[in-house]
Amino acid sequence: MLAYTVRRILVSIPVLIVSTFIVFLVVINSGDPVANFATSRQPAPSKAAVAAFARHIHANQPVMERYWNWITGVLHGDFGPSVQANLNIGHDLFTRFKVTITLVAAAMILALIMAVVFGVFSAIRQYSAADYTITFFGFLFLAMPVFWFAVLLKQAGIWFNEKTGSQFLGTIGEKSPYLEVDTTWNQFTDHVGHLILPTITLALVSFASWTRYTRASMLEVLNSDYVRLARAKGLRRGKVMTRHALRTALIPLATVTALDIAIILGGAVITETIFQWHGMGEMLVQAATTLDVYRTMAWLLLSAVVVIGFNLVADLLYAVLDPRIRYD
Amino acid sequence: MTDIEAPGSAGTQLPPGEREFTVRQRTQTQLVLRRFVRHRAAMVSLVVFVLILLWAFIGPHLWHYSYEKYTEDNSKPPSWKHPFGTNSSGYDAYAQVMRGTQTSLKIAIMIALGSTLVGAIWGAIAGFYRGIVDAVMMRIADLVLTLPLFAIALVISSRTGGSWYWIAIVIAGLTWAYVARVVRSSVLSLREKEFIEAARALGASDVRIIFRHLLPNALGPIIVNATILVATGILTETALSFLGFGVQPPDTSLGLLVSQAQTAVDTRPWLFYIPGAFIIAIALTINFIGDGLRDAFDPRQQRVRQ
Amino acid sequence: MRAPSSALTRALTLAAGLTLVLTACSSGGGGGGPSKGTSAGLTSCNTVGQANTCNSAATKSGGTYTYVLEKNIQQWNVQDVNGNTFENGEALEVVLPQVFVPQPDFTVALNTDLVTSATQTSTSPQTIVYKINPKAAWNDGTPITADDFTYYWRTNNGKDCPPPPASDSSQTHGCLPQSTAGYDRIKSLTPSDNGKTFTMVMSKPYSDWKSLFGAGYPLYPAHTAEKLSGAKVGDAAAMTATQMAQAWQYFLKTPPTKYPTAGAYKMQQWVDNDHATFVPDPKWYGAKKATLQRLIFKVISDATQEPTALKNNEVQGIYPQPEVDLVNQVKDIPGVTYSIGNGLTWEHFDLNLHDPVLGKYLALRQAMFTAINTKDIIAKTVGQFDPAVKPLGSHNFVPGQAGYKDVVSATGQGSGDLTKAKKYLTDAKFTGVGTALKTPDGKTVGPFNCRYTTGNQIRQSECQILQSNLASLGIKITIKPIGAADLGTVLAGHQYDIIVFAWVAAPFPTSNAQQNWFTGGGGNYGGYSNKTADSLISQAVGETDATKAAALLNQADQIMVNDAYVLPLYQKPTFFASQTRFVNMRNNSTNVGPAYNTGTWGLKK
Repeated sequence: MLAYTVRRILVSIPVLIVSTFIVFLVVINSGDPVANFATSRQPAPSKAAVAAFARHIHANQPVMERYWNWITGVLHGDFGPSVQANLNIGHDLFTRFKVTITLVAAAMILALIMAVVFGVFSAIRQYSAADYTITFFGFLFLAMPVFWFAVLLKQAGIWFNEKTGSQFLGTIGEKSPYLEVDTTWNQFTDHVGHLILPTITLALVSFASWTRYTRASMLEVLNSDYVRLARAKGLRRGKVMTRHALRTALIPLATVTALDIAIILGGAVITETIFQWHGMGEMLVQAATTLDVYRTMAWLLLSAVVVIGFNLVADLLYAVLDPRIRYD
Repeated sequence: MTDIEAPGSAGTQLPPGEREFTVRQRTQTQLVLRRFVRHRAAMVSLVVFVLILLWAFIGPHLWHYSYEKYTEDNSKPPSWKHPFGTNSSGYDAYAQVMRGTQTSLKIAIMIALGSTLVGAIWGAIAGFYRGIVDAVMMRIADLVLTLPLFAIALVISSRTGGSWYWIAIVIAGLTWAYVARVVRSSVLSLREKEFIEAARALGASDVRIIFRHLLPNALGPIIVNATILVATGILTETALSFLGFGVQPPDTSLGLLVSQAQTAVDTRPWLFYIPGAFIIAIALTINFIGDGLRDAFDPRQQRVRQ
Repeated sequence: MRAPSSALTRALTLAAGLTLVLTACSSGGGGGGPSKGTSAGLTSCNTVGQANTCNSAATKSGGTYTYVLEKNIQQWNVQDVNGNTFENGEALEVVLPQVFVPQPDFTVALNTDLVTSATQTSTSPQTIVYKINPKAAWNDGTPITADDFTYYWRTNNGKDCPPPPASDSSQTHGCLPQSTAGYDRIKSLTPSDNGKTFTMVMSKPYSDWKSLFGAGYPLYPAHTAEKLSGAKVGDAAAMTATQMAQAWQYFLKTPPTKYPTAGAYKMQQWVDNDHATFVPDPKWYGAKKATLQRLIFKVISDATQEPTALKNNEVQGIYPQPEVDLVNQVKDIPGVTYSIGNGLTWEHFDLNLHDPVLGKYLALRQAMFTAINTKDIIAKTVGQFDPAVKPLGSHNFVPGQAGYKDVVSATGQGSGDLTKAKKYLTDAKFTGVGTALKTPDGKTVGPFNCRYTTGNQIRQSECQILQSNLASLGIKITIKPIGAADLGTVLAGHQYDIIVFAWVAAPFPTSNAQQNWFTGGGGNYGGYSNKTADSLISQAVGETDATKAAALLNQADQIMVNDAYVLPLYQKPTFFASQTRFVNMRNNSTNVGPAYNTGTWGLKK
């Protein structure tokens, strides 16, 4: 399995190089940041300033050279210059990554717990009213645009605060800029209060599809011969469920979770915008609107590494959880 | 409710001519159709979806306001004259929602068709030939999967001016790889089946085997996937439009309409809720249709009984 | 984020306001302190004569006020071409001193905490004497002296600290001031009275001298610059170009938490991408102490999220670009007051005269502009939330500025008068008027594109109304949005037929006119050229008397209006909302923004 892992990692290197190169070409051909710099200020910047700006962002270098310099720079920890003055892309990337990972992790955990609980319940009580209700809401959430739901959720959050006369739920940012009474407990509730609304928003879609998944694989397992056998042997229902059925049913869920990371990262772009979390989503939108090549590339590189990494984890998990599968 | 009853089981209300001992032979298609028709949620959804489709494509020709011509009435709530109200500049929201639905559907359907076509053929060829062909083709698919949809769409949209077909092409260009994966895996198992061996023994060409035997037999997952792609396509388009990188005015889409009305939820709710409801209605019905199709093609899950 | 309404609005707004403010007859005195005010909140701010005093009341100590910044501050040197952003200006003016401060009514007021007087003692050569407040000192105890001004002058004049050489790709070995205007005309700056007085002599007259050392671009501590670059402390006149470049870079990278400041507040903390925390500075020497316990500037980059944050009491003051739902949403929040002011930016349609048909036929252009109904455009856009908006009649001034004269209305442009518009065309022998317009030599006119920055609904509506107006003449218009980051490319590359965007009514009406309307000017994207107008503009630039300069500009403008090149639409409204428990905040539409008087903000007593 180690050999397999190493091989997979080696194979992903050329994939990364080609995909970054494609994005590089797309971005640098999609607009002229130098022209923007020159026309978007009043008084207009001097010729010297425009020239200095062009040199600063390497706009005057040939494409291949720029890409090569970028690649070698990244290997040395230098992510290249940003269109925005005084912005260290590497530093920016990692501070924002921390923000995003908090949100993504919280959302994934919430979605997983709810998916397992509701999915299993739904499968055990197949065709009951509860099953239909869960199924219906699952479909409803799958059909709902994230930002549409987020706008409503925000309103609900404010309503909740008004009704309780508290300031518990936050609608912007990861935490309050200050606390009147700065205790550890207050810091904790402040964090939690800011985390709730965006986490629900981001967890929603994954929750819906993972519930469907859990239900389906649980049904399949419940109907399998070995579960029937276990029951026939007279094992208690609860024990069969937890020891035999659930464990097997969760194998596909584990891999789906790992594969869905790309979708969740995409969802984070919107969630971060609405709740004003200054994470990677905001970074991507800013980079794209300002034609910031190197910043876009940094985003791409990190998210591609995460996606490839999780794909690998998914495959390995499969082998770990299901002894029938073997990589060599 | 919608499952296929095992022969002889109680409670079936089959017409007298179709009792178990007078079984007529049914084709695979008939079987699938029959199972689908019995899926109540899917059938209701299909009807609703077709109605929305007709409304969006035929409606604009019958309605007396155009989505691109403003009226005298600025920011009016719904009335007989303007069933969905108007926005600040006096555009009739009914006309705009119709047009938006039409654009969103066009994009979603084109995404589904485009990526299914490319992905299915790609996956079938890779799965059929295996070996080096498979390795190369699937690495290319992996490559496409690493390209983040949002990043690419954001960047490209500034070049394309937001026409609906470009958005569809970009999204399809990044989603076909999923389809390719699914099709490849089912082809991998199909190619070992006896009927393929038989076809080969009869001297069928590779092309014939792929297109006449493999793909038709993998049709179930392909169609189910395509419906899911319609639903995700609608949602992807709305998300892009929300970020300002989707369809551009004066054309409009459901996503654009909702994002323009983000602040209107309290002050002019008709602008926010109505297009949102249409997005949900479309995605919801498509998902139910997809569910019905899945059950129809693969009735295994449904037989489970406690 | 969503489609920045245009790069050319907020970015430009910063530079605005200087001379416009300075040419407007200003008493200069007063220091902006609230004398007698109203407690009617911000609603009274639109009453004539109340702009500078509305919403004022006595304050009690305590309270935290959070004000929204719409962009992160990336670069802290507001004098630098890259750091010259509205947000940076707002944050720095809280802690760094400036000489003249633009007020909400577009006049300027002398900051007597910094200089007790600034007087022009001679006009030939132009000489100004500044007397620095004897108590004025940085919060590390170092007095503010003429040396701080010398440092400012030498780094900003473009000569003593030149731009980075071509060999420097890091953009760090030089100074890139946002503008050298005025500083390049200072001949000498002579300290006296132990550095507490200095005399400035100009080599050429500079009528906008009040913009120097302030008006949104405050002073940085020279002694910090000298120490860190290894120069002799207290002698900025002897600093070398390298030393100044080094200091310039330091102020560019360093938030003011790290060096001595001189304001009612000091910046306690800066959290990148999120917020700045200011607390009252105990070392503050000024007459009025800050009463707030804490002042926070919080970054919210999506304006649509601001009203909900205000409603949820997460912020207490917002200054977004107004839009009908946003205004109505704020209207419904209890305990919040707001004011819609007249901004300095103005919307306009530009024709691209590089287009062979548009460039050739004056009658066509006149007909097009006459057919456009500006009132209708206002009613369907900004008029929805601000009924006071009126069509704008000048290319150089906005109402409220001295020198404003309506030169457009009389020509019928923007009236939507179709009969008159069609007459222009029939008189010039155009055919197919009202159906499919053809030039006298039989070529089809159009279809033309109308371009606007994507995501800006107001501009989208403007293009659509234009489309419908011009359809009545038989001209087909296609609407083509410009990608969020492409405005620069489109303008510089003349990739439009008709475009709608905004200019800032100039800080320097004359130099701005020179840029935008002069043959070959840097902002003259549509390629307008008229020799008579050129010569009038040149005269205006050389004229030191503001009234005469304005008259010359208006003459030039009349010619330009007759040539139908740019159709001004309206002055863009600005919007400021704040909770009523806090007082003394005002909507300042100039480049300094509402943060111009943070020292007086406080909890209502």
